[in-house]
Amino acid sequence: MLLPSFYDFCCRVKTISGHKALEAIPGLLAGMNARRPLIVTDKGVAAVGLIGIVKKALGSKLKIGAIYDNVPVDSDYKVVDDAAKVYKKKGCDSIISIGGGSVIDTAKGINIVASLGSDTLLDYQGFGAVNRKLNPHVVIPTTAGTGSEMTLVAVIADPDRKIKMLFVSYFILPDIAVLDPRMTKTLPGFLTAATAMDAMTHACEAYFCLEKNPMSDGHAYRAIKLISDNLLKVVKNPGDMKGRLALANASALAGVAFSNSMVGVVHNLGHTIGALCHVPHGNAMSILLPYGMEYNLHKSGDIIGEILLPLGGAEIYASTPKKKRAEKVVELIRKMNQDLHDATGGRHPRFLKEITDRNGKQIVPHSMLPTIADCMMLDGARMSNPEEVLPADAILILEHAWEGTPLNRKKINKGGKKVKY
Amino acid sequence: MNINKYPEIVPGRKFLKEFYVGIMLWVVGRALQVAAKVDKEVKAELAKLPNNFTLRMMVAPEKAFPLFFYAKLLPSFVTDIGLLPYGIQMFLHKDKEGNIKYIGADPKGKKADLSVIFTSIEAAWLVLSFQESTATAYMHGRFVVEGDLPHSLTFVRALDIVEVFLLPKIISGLAVKRYPKWSEMSLMRKFWKRIVIYIRAFTIG
Repeated sequence: MLLPSFYDFCCRVKTISGHKALEAIPGLLAGMNARRPLIVTDKGVAAVGLIGIVKKALGSKLKIGAIYDNVPVDSDYKVVDDAAKVYKKKGCDSIISIGGGSVIDTAKGINIVASLGSDTLLDYQGFGAVNRKLNPHVVIPTTAGTGSEMTLVAVIADPDRKIKMLFVSYFILPDIAVLDPRMTKTLPGFLTAATAMDAMTHACEAYFCLEKNPMSDGHAYRAIKLISDNLLKVVKNPGDMKGRLALANASALAGVAFSNSMVGVVHNLGHTIGALCHVPHGNAMSILLPYGMEYNLHKSGDIIGEILLPLGGAEIYASTPKKKRAEKVVELIRKMNQDLHDATGGRHPRFLKEITDRNGKQIVPHSMLPTIADCMMLDGARMSNPEEVLPADAILILEHAWEGTPLNRKKINKGGKKVKY
Repeated sequence: MNINKYPEIVPGRKFLKEFYVGIMLWVVGRALQVAAKVDKEVKAELAKLPNNFTLRMMVAPEKAFPLFFYAKLLPSFVTDIGLLPYGIQMFLHKDKEGNIKYIGADPKGKKADLSVIFTSIEAAWLVLSFQESTATAYMHGRFVVEGDLPHSLTFVRALDIVEVFLLPKIISGLAVKRYPKWSEMSLMRKFWKRIVIYIRAFTIG
């Protein structure tokens, strides 16, 4: 097993997982001396009745200060400031966030403003600005993919400057993550597929990118195993609560892994495609994951090959020669995408050209690829990829991912020393 | 109780490493200034930074750190020209016209839009003596970035190209993830730019 010459790892989030896990929240909050939480969520979550389930689970032991359900899909600092005002006026002392990545990130922002005393999140930009313990924050994820409940990052937009602000601090980490399968039960099959493949990408990239370490490897390994064992079953049978719980766990595990190991070219290109073409993040991840692995085979093939054991199982691992394991991993990920495509009636895209909007119009036109390749230079995930990624390399990957053909590995620019982890 | 039995511990200094890092930061700053003038790729990369932008590379903790005793005696307009290696930080400024200029090492009166901060003198030593590549150093937390991350990526990319110009393959191969092939950077371009950058960095800038 690879032991890097240097690494750091931190995970301080208490995790409660299981059926009826929500019922533990009042006791846990009381243990942190919090009795009046603000519930942060979005309209979609509220509309499918998930807030009702949480309220029922909390019972009469906890007084809810207020429910803030105005969080949009791409949250900005004005929403955060608005919600922080509600928090203060209603005399809340903690936050329960119920939703996906956007809601959780917004709640992290609200906690910064509410705990540190200013009126606006803009006061807390920059390294070291969030410098002390925040108020208790309980996260209840409703998608099994983002892993945001385990990360120390909050991404919040500033529409005036047209930028996404990144807040990074160990103090932003939530205190408690509650994984209850009731919260992901209503997630449609195609969204379950996309979000779980997002978690799969977190785990795989955490496993082979430059900041990998034994602690994050353990989390990534288990996440890959849980997803490969359960994803297809859950998509075919949405009522499979055991499978739902497994995916929620996998998402959290992958969150811990990539929060400590960073991600690579798949996220690099995925973020850029998402920003420029508004492609759902999970779809971009599932399409690009096999290409990102193929691109790094010559540098990290041995390590990618290790993923075959949790992904394919002991029999496939043992029957595949060591040299062929990494290629087999890529093949199995492609097969997984194909199976999900079939199981969702074609709603899980396999290539970039297959992603369409509601009117059937292509979201990623071929003419956008050069722009995507240029803009990906500004995404931080580029740094942690084992192989260098420049616009010419990005074009190579994007062309193949758009067409749906395996990457022509002879065309990859190779050079430099073996990766030093 | 004899309080003198419990003396205050004064942090030590690593003069040789400070000296080396100071010289290297000066070389990097001056070389970037020249490369932005003479090489199209570096120019195009640094063009992505906004105008009127100040970048700082430094070693934590924050301190103006005179390396030479005479640096203290010099007036600031001399040190600001940046002809002398002066301290273990350096400032690059992109003016309103988009020209890149090394503006010395004295932080007095300068406000950085982007700071690349080595977490310790040992971290700076590891990176600037090419024991760790820029990417590995970033992964190992040898430096942190204060400011917009995309700007720091632009800077690191420009730095990678300059390193290839300045150093022989055996050394710069350790610093960059992938050493450029001939098709990406011709021998003629590499050696010619190497000569020009060295001559101008140590003279007219």
